[in-house]
Amino acid sequence: MTVERTVTVVPEAGLHARPASAFVQAVNDHEAEVSAGRPDGDLVQAASMIAITSLGVGQGDDIKLVADGPDAEAVLDELERILTTPEGELDTDDG
Amino acid sequence: MADRTLHGTGATPRSGVGTVVWYGRDISLPDPDDVKVDPEAEGRRFANAVDTAREELASEREATAERVGEDEAAVFDAHIQFLEDPTIEEAVETMIGEGQPAPNAVDAAFGEHIEQFEGMDGRMAERADDLRDVRDRLLRLLTDGERVDLGDLPDGSVVLAERLTPSDTAQLDPDRVAGFATVTGGRTSHASIFARSLALPAVVGVGEALEAIEDGTEVVIDGDSGEVLVAPDDTERAAAASDSGAAVVDASVETTDGRHVEVAANIGQPAELKPAVERGADGVGLYRTEFLFLDRETPPSEDEQYEAIRETLDTFPDGRVVVRTLDIGGDKQIPYLDQPDEENPFLGERGIRRSLGPDSDLFATQLRALLRAAADGAGDLAIMFPMVATVTELDAALDALDTAAADIEECDADVVDVEVGVMIETPSAAFMAGELAARVDFLSIGTNDLTQYVMAADRENERVGDLHDPSHPGVLRAIHRTVTAAHEEDAWVGMCGEMAGDPDLTELLVGLGLDELSMSAVTIPEVKTAVSDTEYSTASERADRAQLAATRSEVHTTLDT
Repeated sequence: MTVERTVTVVPEAGLHARPASAFVQAVNDHEAEVSAGRPDGDLVQAASMIAITSLGVGQGDDIKLVADGPDAEAVLDELERILTTPEGELDTDDG
Repeated sequence: MADRTLHGTGATPRSGVGTVVWYGRDISLPDPDDVKVDPEAEGRRFANAVDTAREELASEREATAERVGEDEAAVFDAHIQFLEDPTIEEAVETMIGEGQPAPNAVDAAFGEHIEQFEGMDGRMAERADDLRDVRDRLLRLLTDGERVDLGDLPDGSVVLAERLTPSDTAQLDPDRVAGFATVTGGRTSHASIFARSLALPAVVGVGEALEAIEDGTEVVIDGDSGEVLVAPDDTERAAAASDSGAAVVDASVETTDGRHVEVAANIGQPAELKPAVERGADGVGLYRTEFLFLDRETPPSEDEQYEAIRETLDTFPDGRVVVRTLDIGGDKQIPYLDQPDEENPFLGERGIRRSLGPDSDLFATQLRALLRAAADGAGDLAIMFPMVATVTELDAALDALDTAAADIEECDADVVDVEVGVMIETPSAAFMAGELAARVDFLSIGTNDLTQYVMAADRENERVGDLHDPSHPGVLRAIHRTVTAAHEEDAWVGMCGEMAGDPDLTELLVGLGLDELSMSAVTIPEVKTAVSDTEYSTASERADRAQLAATRSEVHTTLDT
């Protein structure tokens, strides 16, 4: 099953440092294949820290997520939680 | 025997002698034309190297979290993610499949991304450093399998390296390592700052000549002169080995004629607390809170700040800890704060000007954290406001402190009396020292900035470096005026710039009437000894003459006679 979602990034760091780390970790903790990118751009492998960091996604930017696999909904829920939680409140152990 | 001596930049005024252990050298890639590659075997070698690297990173992460802190350990999380990055893995596997040896494939796969990140600014460039760290770790595992464990070196080791990253330096144990020298780096590189904060002999920026020194060679690291001396003779060895500086003086000190002078430490990060205690600091004369705000994406919470200050107060149960409130602007940038581009940032919105303006919420949070820590911590807290130029600013800062105290009382928490002070860094503050001192308990002279503003000479500009010297009579008069005016108001006066840590100037400073001198831990024993050797009455006469001199050379003539 393929699902798609667009999320506006809340952490001040955007997709960098800890939020990026938590994001990639969450992708790896699920079975679904996830790709991500700017809504008008190419998608990259969400399991790659290099690819995700290179997107240069900042606070307030939209990011499109596409997941394919049995737990596609679950992984997108988790990624949305990470992307919409202000950084100070992000509990990385929970992901 | 000049050829035995290599020259670099001294990072810390101390010498050490020890045996060379090279770190991270000799990574030479095989020539793919010379080796017959079995792709399957190379693939296994790569997978094994990744596994070992992952184990190393996990154990270094744990050790760093314990020794330095959880925030510093977080760098290893990013390294693990880069290590496991599928983009790298796919590229390496493809190249191995095409007949490349594993080390060459790793080098090429990382190289592309390192270049990409290097070309970007700030945060992205830091990722290039992370990638380089991970690449070098894999290459080391793939080329010789041997590994120098920086956290477990034999006693008396001198570490030589091309460069030392933050994760490298966090592992060095100053109780065992006699010093280090690096090919690259300058006085303000991470490794230099680390060396100073731990009073570790270090020379950086030696250049490629360093690479000629073999493992197991005995060397002297002279962090004062910036020299690395190869194969020292008995005299040179003994001189370096005995340079633990002056003997550590644990008790507080006074002049031969009984005037007490407090000798305290400047603290810029938690790792500096232990060396400060070990080198006999009476307390902390300058606690720079900026480090709590750096290398992160959002400001620290009130509780985080409370914990950091509380720990410091508990480290000096019988002493005083002077905490400077947030002092950013000028050369200090914090990415998540909205700092404007200013034409003259040193003459712009910095220090208390920001705390009373755009950062007033941060200021309120910090003051509450400080007051709560003062109530619970062992030592005595003093709060100090930076970059004050006017009495009006000081009054506003004092109002903010009253508001913070009222907030805390409303929550039924205890509020204790703390000493409050002002940094004297601007000529205006020096001229207004009496009026400022009448409102507070102490003044602390920040000689780096005061010299810069009195002489109108940028401290980073080498072309006017000669003017950036606090022993010019213009600066001495500002100091003299500040001390005299403060004492008339029964306020005590400290000094927390580089000048305070120069043992050659101790007599002058004691003579000018300074009640407290605060410096990097490394020079505390020398300064304490110098205070004990000073006769206040003589020093005072000399200082009076020195500040009336017409030129800097006259000042020095006065001091030498």
